[in-house]
Amino acid sequence: MDTCIKAVQAAEQAGAQYADARLVRLVSEDLALRNGNVVCAEAAEEFGLGVRVLVDGSWGFAALPLAEGAGLAAAREQAPAVAARAVELARAVGSAQVRGVQLGPAEGTVGEYATPFEINPFEVSLTDKLALLQEAEASMVGAQETVSREAGLGLRREQQWQASSEGARQHQVLLRSGAGIATTAAAHGHVERRSWPASFGGNYKSAGWEHITGLDLAAHGERMRDESVALCSAPACPAGQRDLILMGNQLMLQIHESVGHPNELDRVFGHEVDLAGSSFATTDKLGTFRYGSDLVNLVADSTVPGGLDTRGFDDECVPSGSWHVVKDGIFTGYHTSREWAARIGEERSRATARAEGFGNPPIIRITNLSLMPGDWRLDDLIADTEDGVLCDTVRMWSIDQRRLNFQFTTEIGWEIKNGKLGRMLRSPTYQDTTPEFWNRCDAICDADHWQLWGVPNCGKGNPMQVAEMSHGAAPARFRSVNFVQ
Amino acid sequence: MSSSLPDCRDGAALLELAQKIVAASPADETEVTVQRTEDAYVRFADSGPTQSADRSDLHIAVRARLAPQGGGPGFREARATSSSTAEADTARAVERAVALARVSPVTADAPGLAADSCGPQAIPPGVTAMLDQSAADRIAATTRLVRYALDGCAAESLAPAGLVQLTALGTALANSVGRGVFAARGRAAMALTASHAQGGSGWAEDIRGSLTDLAPAGAGPADGPADGISVVERALAKARQNREPQSIAAGEYTVVLEPAAVASLLLFASYCGFGAREVAEESSMLCGRIGERAFSPLISISDDAADRRHGGLPFDGEGNPRHRVALVEEGVLREPVTDALWAARLGRENTGHGIGQPDPHGPLPQNLILACGQASRADLLAGVKRGLLVTQFHYTNMIEPRDLTLTGMTRNGTFLIEDGEVCGPVKNLRFTDSLVRILANVSAVGDEAAACGALFDGELLTPALRVEGFRFTSTTDF
Repeated sequence: MDTCIKAVQAAEQAGAQYADARLVRLVSEDLALRNGNVVCAEAAEEFGLGVRVLVDGSWGFAALPLAEGAGLAAAREQAPAVAARAVELARAVGSAQVRGVQLGPAEGTVGEYATPFEINPFEVSLTDKLALLQEAEASMVGAQETVSREAGLGLRREQQWQASSEGARQHQVLLRSGAGIATTAAAHGHVERRSWPASFGGNYKSAGWEHITGLDLAAHGERMRDESVALCSAPACPAGQRDLILMGNQLMLQIHESVGHPNELDRVFGHEVDLAGSSFATTDKLGTFRYGSDLVNLVADSTVPGGLDTRGFDDECVPSGSWHVVKDGIFTGYHTSREWAARIGEERSRATARAEGFGNPPIIRITNLSLMPGDWRLDDLIADTEDGVLCDTVRMWSIDQRRLNFQFTTEIGWEIKNGKLGRMLRSPTYQDTTPEFWNRCDAICDADHWQLWGVPNCGKGNPMQVAEMSHGAAPARFRSVNFVQ
Repeated sequence: MSSSLPDCRDGAALLELAQKIVAASPADETEVTVQRTEDAYVRFADSGPTQSADRSDLHIAVRARLAPQGGGPGFREARATSSSTAEADTARAVERAVALARVSPVTADAPGLAADSCGPQAIPPGVTAMLDQSAADRIAATTRLVRYALDGCAAESLAPAGLVQLTALGTALANSVGRGVFAARGRAAMALTASHAQGGSGWAEDIRGSLTDLAPAGAGPADGPADGISVVERALAKARQNREPQSIAAGEYTVVLEPAAVASLLLFASYCGFGAREVAEESSMLCGRIGERAFSPLISISDDAADRRHGGLPFDGEGNPRHRVALVEEGVLREPVTDALWAARLGRENTGHGIGQPDPHGPLPQNLILACGQASRADLLAGVKRGLLVTQFHYTNMIEPRDLTLTGMTRNGTFLIEDGEVCGPVKNLRFTDSLVRILANVSAVGDEAAACGALFDGELLTPALRVEGFRFTSTTDF
């Protein structure tokens, strides 16, 4: 913390009206097997300081990796120089300023936060970790059509100290763990992949080793293998209008792309349009726009247990919280930073400004954003569907720059006819427009079916930064959706 | 761009650091890569600069390899990384890599590390110019470009959003069998999106080797035709054309794809098509097509890190020399790129396209070049009876790897072409089509290439293309 305080003080002495500093130590471990070989065995460490300053309404940011092994005192000595670089930059770019940044009320919380966990995954032996992956990979052996079998796990421990010129002093330790399997078959001119429990390397949570063992990867390998082989000879999902039941591991990306990203207030005002895009969810719609059907309640929550973005504070020192983004179908709230909350007159930021590592300034990021459960059982929902397709596991996603026209493909689909699951369908692809889609939602499964799904690789910003978050979802039905080929 | 770390250009210091770590490793084979980066950027929008950053970074990767216990071919291997030059930290990275390697299964067909080197590399003048410039001068030059973009947009009541970014990168790699290589590269980029309040926008981008290429020394808005300024002019011109776009039906059209639109398609061939692993695993568009004329005879694609217009490092992630590889010659598909492991596995030459090992992906062509043709912009348009001109695609993604079926949205200017003339803007459309089919249907190739990226990673060099029967599958209201 002394390093952060020293940086903040140096920035103030150099003329900054506001400064915050983050010292980040990131330790990670990634292991992956593919076809019996180790294709990833990486243990990474990163330690460095990022300083952000506001000088006469202009931002400046500077960052430097620090040599922890040379002693913290030596590292601390570099803090003033990093702060001076940030101030120099802010002052220089200020000559092009059109409208200065206003931050709103001060945020001076002092606090601690640590991810709760049962078993520290970094203390589990490497032998045990590899044994778990070997068993998982072996569970997918046995089909000659299989061209790849993959089993992997990832662990992240991010320790962060941050201080601001408004008196904030915070320390948090965030622990994230995840694992998954995937297998690909090639036959009959098709290449088909099945992943469990989700794409993006599996399912990740803010949790310890207990999350990984709880996934029971090896119990699912045989089914993934058989489904990937069967998909190579399955009929393509036919085009046309049908009811769509999305399983949670696909619905989570639907939430992410068509609710989360358009809800970032910097996009709404065009500040991300140079790469990531803008948003149709403009401020005139707040409080009145029908985003979805009455059943649709979407809650952002950076305190929910297990969420990949569950933490004590964001990277602007604002304490975490929760709020409705969509309530009873009506659009009710944004993800904000301090700057953008002030811009629309909100009393306080939603605490969703985050940075990747020490080397990036914070930008608005989606936090844990979930579709609240309804009251259906999945079996009843299928039985209630006359002509539909049940779609499982993300395969491909694409959405326009205003987050309206999207097209998604899942790894597998199952035809539903007269209330019964029927034949397997290859490459089910549906296309729709965001509000129309969410207004088609007429049934959501209950809390027993609801779980958090992690997105460990969300990209935004320019230069791009990667962040992580979770989306809670239970299977849900959307009426008369357009399937395309 | 100043810090307590070694200079990006100081190959001797970076190599010495890498060699010192190699020497301290107890592994049977060790490879160490040290990357030093200086990166500065300014993002801007209607309020002026919205983010400005000046960042130093250091990344050390230690690859440790152990012979199998009890003998036999192959290696157990692992990698550890660190952001610190301190001996205690690098020693810990070696320890972590060795500990991981010790428990890893043997990759029996993994070949030993190689010693050959691509030889000494000159520091590109742009990198020297970028790093020699004082921070104040560099920020001043960057801010002038930003202000010029802001003023240009303000004069036409357009909302700006853009980026000016300068990066210098020095990479040294040493291994325990005697390899020692170093190279430096620079990158300067400016992009601008200029948007109308009521919809419609223009976009342009320029990617060069240094700020001096982007905006020659001393150049500012009043000083002449710097390329950085032409980005502004091009974005504004596009925005002027793209006002009040009209609806148009989805369907098949002849299209003229500008370089950025081509790049967002072709990058998927880089990620998932031209690598040896995908071919071996039957997941590539090359499968069953090698030696066939699957594309238009107008299409030739190579990977060439030595290309002076937009080159890359002369060695790959293991220090092996990157060779130029002809991937498509006059429409005929050729063999994929390899790295050391996949070359040994398939009994082929190592083309030098590996990334840091061990890695699940396999070899990648990271410096793709689609060869220029003969068609001027007027020629490209002249061949279109009724079609569309596409500036850029947004969020292109892959549905199927064997035919590289892709989908994505047009963005920042889509225009109706009638009888060879650009008539007016149309609302954005979604395409869903196969890259194999698209490249088979190319009827003309532009005579000027540009370096372009897309939403996901990577950049390549490509001219514009004219494509017949390009499939648009849905529409938007904007």
